[in-house]
Amino acid sequence: MVTDTAAPKIKRDLSEQALGWLLLSPVIVLLLVIVVYPIATLVYNSFFTIKVMEPYLGTPFVGLENFEKALDDDRFWAALWNTVLYIVVTVPGSLFAGLGLALLANLPFKRQWPVRLALLLPWALPLVFVGLIFRWFFDFRLGFVNDALVHLGIGAVPWLTNTTMAKIAICLAIIWKSSSFMALILLAGLQSIPKSLYEAAEVDGADKWTQFREITLPMLAPSIFVALIFRTITAIQTFDIPYAMTGGGPGESTETLAMYIHKTTLDFLDFGYGSALAVLLFIVSMIATSGYLKYTQRSTARD
Amino acid sequence: MQRRTLIKAVTLAAAAIMPALFAANTLAQTTLRIFTGGQQRPDVMRKIADEYMKRNPSVKVEVEVGGATSEAQQQYLNTVLSSKDSVLDVVLIDVIRPAQWAAAQWAEPLDSYLGADKPKLLAGYLKAYVDANTVDGKLMSLPYFADSQFLYYRKDLLEKYKRPVPQTWDDLMESGQIIMQGEKNQNLRGFETAGAPIEGTVCTYLVPLWGEGSEFTDAKGKLNLNNEAAKYPFQLMGRLKASGVMPSNIGEIPTDRIRIDMQSGNLVFGQTWGYVWNRLETDADSQVKGKIGVAVLPHSKGKNGATCIGGWQLAVSAFSKNKTEAVKFVRYLSSPEVSKMQALMASHLPVFTDVYKDPEVLKANPWFQFAAPVVAQARARPVTARYQEVSDAIRSNMNAYLSGTKTTEVALADMQKRLGPVFK
Repeated sequence: MVTDTAAPKIKRDLSEQALGWLLLSPVIVLLLVIVVYPIATLVYNSFFTIKVMEPYLGTPFVGLENFEKALDDDRFWAALWNTVLYIVVTVPGSLFAGLGLALLANLPFKRQWPVRLALLLPWALPLVFVGLIFRWFFDFRLGFVNDALVHLGIGAVPWLTNTTMAKIAICLAIIWKSSSFMALILLAGLQSIPKSLYEAAEVDGADKWTQFREITLPMLAPSIFVALIFRTITAIQTFDIPYAMTGGGPGESTETLAMYIHKTTLDFLDFGYGSALAVLLFIVSMIATSGYLKYTQRSTARD
Repeated sequence: MQRRTLIKAVTLAAAAIMPALFAANTLAQTTLRIFTGGQQRPDVMRKIADEYMKRNPSVKVEVEVGGATSEAQQQYLNTVLSSKDSVLDVVLIDVIRPAQWAAAQWAEPLDSYLGADKPKLLAGYLKAYVDANTVDGKLMSLPYFADSQFLYYRKDLLEKYKRPVPQTWDDLMESGQIIMQGEKNQNLRGFETAGAPIEGTVCTYLVPLWGEGSEFTDAKGKLNLNNEAAKYPFQLMGRLKASGVMPSNIGEIPTDRIRIDMQSGNLVFGQTWGYVWNRLETDADSQVKGKIGVAVLPHSKGKNGATCIGGWQLAVSAFSKNKTEAVKFVRYLSSPEVSKMQALMASHLPVFTDVYKDPEVLKANPWFQFAAPVVAQARARPVTARYQEVSDAIRSNMNAYLSGTKTTEVALADMQKRLGPVFK
């Protein structure tokens, strides 16, 4: 089986190892400065009371008090559930929309660039622009959506001032924005599938659906997987679109965890509690991505 | 011989350089950077800064323009100032901020810079603004321009339907209904005030509360919401919405939307700030030029009205490297002369009692005559360093109520629960 017994042994001397470390050191220093240091500071701060607006409190060490406060904080739980809702709805939502777009863009068009450009545009737009665009879109009186609904005889819907409707509107905006990114990854995956497979299937008499199920999906699985991880991580951090569309309203009913952290740290200037909330978000993020990692380990073991 | 030539050469060179050095020294400029919001007319600020630079050639003023809303500006400033950045020398801050800036020690107290001038200087201002800028006896900032909320109304429509300028909220609702029925214009709305979860919505709660004769906090600074009056603002807004006078989408209406609706002729009554007048009268696309009246906001029957104080203050950053020069510049910006310039160029309400009597100012802004007593009696939103938390509790519950997701009882209870720890 293994036949490369004759492969020459590479003799590693110390200087080569030293060179390796030397070459790696800029990256290590950079990572220490921009990743390790901020995260360490964040975790450290989460054990202290740091309230800029109440300087007389000092900055005492309070142990896990900030975390206990969070677990007792209705607003934290509400924001967490909203975040989970956005993940559960928009990750599969943008996967299906993105897959559809990728399959369309993969059709043998004569002119491919307009389709590709249309795919790229939502991805290239800054998130907060998307939020503002959709806010006007869903505006009760001036919005395009209600105008269309009125013409269809359905009547105006209070999109952004009704909790359920606001959540639907936000999810639609997120799916619109993120499906193009999904589509780009999936399109790259689609183009790497050899045409010969489809030709062979054609010869064997497989219909389009069977071809899709038996060739496209399995060959696309690694791309889908990568796209899902990226999308889930950004979904956990959802901030800009609801921030621009509703500002968390009505009341605080569409607020995400990232928005609550922003409010606590940047508005209320409560850095201790804000850090604790950010650590909790980090934990949520770890749990979600570790699920995917477990799945990859299983699938590589199976291979 | 050689050495002597060298000395000569050096002396000559020095002689040649000296004047240049000297000249450079006199031209050495202090650069002051002032931060202003996009809605506080940075164009006017630039003209005023140009005038100052003309008179003080050794000072160069840079105007940095920030976000459109008070919140957006403060979020940026929070980042700059919590990192003790010295990039800004003077900052234009909202009237709700001096207490926060004092607590965070971001503003340089001005008392020592003013010295013996202080009592004389302060005597000229509207008293409400001396109070607004003084925190625990220290002068944290000086006022730039005044503002408060007014009732804007359509003079032409009130005349057409022979309705008086509303004194009470009931008058307003009745007139609104009559005019809306009479006009049969689907786009016409009766009354709008800020309803989105933004700062202005705090006043949507406070103005009816004060107009009911109640207070947000009692004389000891304790929360005073355990009473019927505290429910009144919710109930009033609920009635206005149910009657159709206030639009059903009030929960998504931010401050400037009221101006836009008024300007396009689609609004009878609006509760909003002083900047609107100038836009309604001078904007090219205004449909209501000459048709707008300004009045004091309504109140409950048999009670006295009160409005929310606004306006913008000049603070010297505690991290500035040019504090003395910065204070000089602030004193210029907060002078009767600049107050008048602003009144003429931007119809910004003056902060000096005397400027309201200036014939030139009154000619450009006839409504100032009436505005002066309103501004002088305008009330401050709760004064506390933790104002952001207070504001958030009021506006998000008001917004939830206006959107119909909370009842009066729930909104008030949630508000009290959130405010309790701040006013303990």
